[in-house]
Amino acid sequence: MKLLAITSCPNGIAHTYMAAEKLAKAAEKLGHEIKVETQGSIGVENELTAEEIQAADGIIITADKVVDKRRFQGKKVLEAPVADGINKPEELIEQFESGDVPVYGDQAPTETQSIDQVKQERKQKQNPLYRNLMNGVSYMIPFVVVGGLLIALSLAIGGEPTEKGLVIPEDSLWKSILDVGAASFTFMVPILAGFIAMSIADRPGLAPGMIGGYIAANGSFYGSEAGAGFIGGIIAGFLAGYIAKGIKQIKVPAIIQPIMPILVIPLISSVIVAVIFIFILGQPIAALMEGLSAWLQSMQGASKILLALILGAMIAFDMGGPFNKVAFLFGAAMIGEGHTYIMGAIAVAICTPPLGLGLATLVNKKKYAKEEQEAGKAALAMGLVGITEGAIPLAARDPFRVIPSIMIGSMVGAVVAMLTNVTDNVPHGGPIVAVFQAVGNVPMFFVAILIGMVVTAFTVNILKKPVEE
Amino acid sequence: MKLTDLMTEDLIQLHLEGTTREEIMDEMVSMIDATGALTDKEAYKEALFSREQQGSTGIGFGIAIPHGKSDAVQTARVAFGVKRNGVNWDSMDGKDAKLIFMIAVPEKNAGDEHLKILQVLSRKLMDDAFRASLLNADSKDEVLRLVSEM
Repeated sequence: MKLLAITSCPNGIAHTYMAAEKLAKAAEKLGHEIKVETQGSIGVENELTAEEIQAADGIIITADKVVDKRRFQGKKVLEAPVADGINKPEELIEQFESGDVPVYGDQAPTETQSIDQVKQERKQKQNPLYRNLMNGVSYMIPFVVVGGLLIALSLAIGGEPTEKGLVIPEDSLWKSILDVGAASFTFMVPILAGFIAMSIADRPGLAPGMIGGYIAANGSFYGSEAGAGFIGGIIAGFLAGYIAKGIKQIKVPAIIQPIMPILVIPLISSVIVAVIFIFILGQPIAALMEGLSAWLQSMQGASKILLALILGAMIAFDMGGPFNKVAFLFGAAMIGEGHTYIMGAIAVAICTPPLGLGLATLVNKKKYAKEEQEAGKAALAMGLVGITEGAIPLAARDPFRVIPSIMIGSMVGAVVAMLTNVTDNVPHGGPIVAVFQAVGNVPMFFVAILIGMVVTAFTVNILKKPVEE
Repeated sequence: MKLTDLMTEDLIQLHLEGTTREEIMDEMVSMIDATGALTDKEAYKEALFSREQQGSTGIGFGIAIPHGKSDAVQTARVAFGVKRNGVNWDSMDGKDAKLIFMIAVPEKNAGDEHLKILQVLSRKLMDDAFRASLLNADSKDEVLRLVSEM
């Protein structure tokens, strides 16, 4: 037989492990396979995986503490005090041999249910990267939503179109609201990075993660015009987390152990992350931006469709990161030279990621968690005023499916705008620029946005899998 | 860190004097207190007894592992005592305890290394041969040698 066991006791110091040892020995003696998960003061060790649970003939729980049994739905589960695990492990195993063990669960679960559960568990167990990313994203979302909505509101009501973009007069109340929104955006990348790192390395990871995220988001640290955006933040978070985790595993004398988590680990990790970002990653990011700018300049003579495809892809790819910034600045510069059709295409590409994803969450709720559906509504509001960042909460959760989708949507939208001679003489995007009468060929501007949205929503809903919750 | 860092020579008593569970616990608490690991001897004792009330720590096979987790413990310690005639510990298997490991663990852990050591000890105690050697050890050095082999 293939058996599994969990042992646990109130203090989690000794009995847990004694029972584990005895069960393992008894199983071996009786010729069965067994794996024992211990839930002691150190935490859970030798954790049972979803596959193992599915494959097991039964689970023995010897515990004097509450053990979560939900994952054993539909399996034979034998519960006993931890003392029985120590003193009569063989009797426990023999009960399985005689088949005298009840199945856990009120009703026998249907086949699909248990398979779904297993799948979900498998996903969580097998992909710690995904779990760490999720942790960061869920903490980041409120910052994006608060910041995005306040900025959207202040721009929509207090903004005035100028050649520098939508500007809010200094003395207006809306300026303060804009600043509050901007403050919330400032935290976005550091929080993302910090909580990714914390998910990897526990509390000692938070400070290095947040500091790393801040550096990633602020190009001035490494002589770049724009920061590395949320993708940089994800990189910073993982770097900080794994560095902190690595340092944690170094054996140190007992005397400095107490200061490890509050002083040594955060300090050393932060310095390493900072050095990596400033001296190793920073230069290439700055160089990349310069290279891209030069490349775009050289593209001026190329076909308009190609240019629109490139700009659309860049705007959507990192939603406020270096690629987005380069494309945007190029468009802004071209307004000055009278080529307002370039900004016209960009203005469409800027708003289709949040608008398209917002639409996608409305169309197919099954593919989005509750949190994502809420983020989707906020994204719609942000999209209307041209805040591409509104798409980040949805993109960061599932980058490999969402980012290609929004890139395709923005590319299509930009091409439609380019072909129909949509122009925009204010460096800003989204339907709001039409409201401010900065757009030429308004009907096609909206048609381009709608097409981009639909393409985005359609693509992402094909690529995404239903959430398993 | 090794078990011998937690269980030093002065924490070993091969001839416990007490004849009841309470007397032996007193005796061993004093051994731990003498090393300066406790800020409040009574508070630690209370932790021990409240654990004992939840269920005897006499786990059978002649072993008892009274243990307490308390703020009164500054650094983790393990005391080891032998009572060759045995003492009634309300053990699960009804047999008297002969080998007694008293464990003191701080409430707030400065790390979990000591817990890992106790885990290894707990597992090792399930080994019949290891228990027999401990019971037959006739010097502290021999005990230290046995536990350092873990």
